[in-house]
Amino acid sequence: MEQPKAPSWVLLVYKIPREPTSSRALVWRKLKRLGALLLHDAVWVLPATPWTREQFQWLTVEISELGGEAYLWESHLLLNGQADALAEQFQARVDAAYEEILEELEQDEADLVALSRKYQQVRAQDYFHSTLGTQVRERLMRARGGLAS
Amino acid sequence: MKWVTWEQVGVDRMACAWLITKYIDPQAEFLFVPAGYKPLPEGAEPFDIPGARLSHHRGHCTFYAMLREYDLHDPVLERIARVVDEADTVQDVMLEPAAIGLDVLCQGIRRISPDDRVALERSRLLYDALYAQFASEPNQG
Repeated sequence: MEQPKAPSWVLLVYKIPREPTSSRALVWRKLKRLGALLLHDAVWVLPATPWTREQFQWLTVEISELGGEAYLWESHLLLNGQADALAEQFQARVDAAYEEILEELEQDEADLVALSRKYQQVRAQDYFHSTLGTQVRERLMRARGGLAS
Repeated sequence: MKWVTWEQVGVDRMACAWLITKYIDPQAEFLFVPAGYKPLPEGAEPFDIPGARLSHHRGHCTFYAMLREYDLHDPVLERIARVVDEADTVQDVMLEPAAIGLDVLCQGIRRISPDDRVALERSRLLYDALYAQFASEPNQG
């Protein structure tokens, strides 16, 4: 995952017909899967990287194929500190997910297969490289046994 | 004939170029334009560019669209399409562990290549290898 050099963001605003609900759910699931943040029930935002740009671009195409309408922007925040605050919101969500994994790792008979998969999913959304992620990885490696590297 | 796509090729476009040269147009010549650049060169078939015939449709990658548009029915190619789909698009269901690795390798190939043309050239080996391996695994399609 590449960190954006300048804090630039991709924004997606879309409208999709109420029916079929499966289309709405599909788009929503993809946005969640990308780890996009919904700001004030209005704008979906992701830090701009070549990957997020491309994913939002294809999602925009898909929404129009589903009979909806979508606009995609790239922008930066004008007020001091807002970019950091936004990054913190992304980070907080990812950290909460990492915390959950750490807690589950404490359990006896933790399901390592499921937890390592969950870790990979969270890491895919870890756009700001949380240090908790490193901890989770180290814990998973230790749980796996053998030499940690 | 000529084929055009955006610069900085990745897993899907490398797969498409391999497919084009191998199954559709052995004499294919590839052109590259910066992302979003318009107008596209005349007489060249665009691929993996939003809105093109050969592009993502219904959440599936461009390679998938190519198989459909050129009537290529081969279970091995269909499995490669699934791998590219999982590598290049957001999927809830992941069935092909090769997908993530393939994506990383393709990005790396672009990184060590002086330009897109060379990257396409080098990535052919990956898809030849993938095809051969999948062909040797019956009932996995």
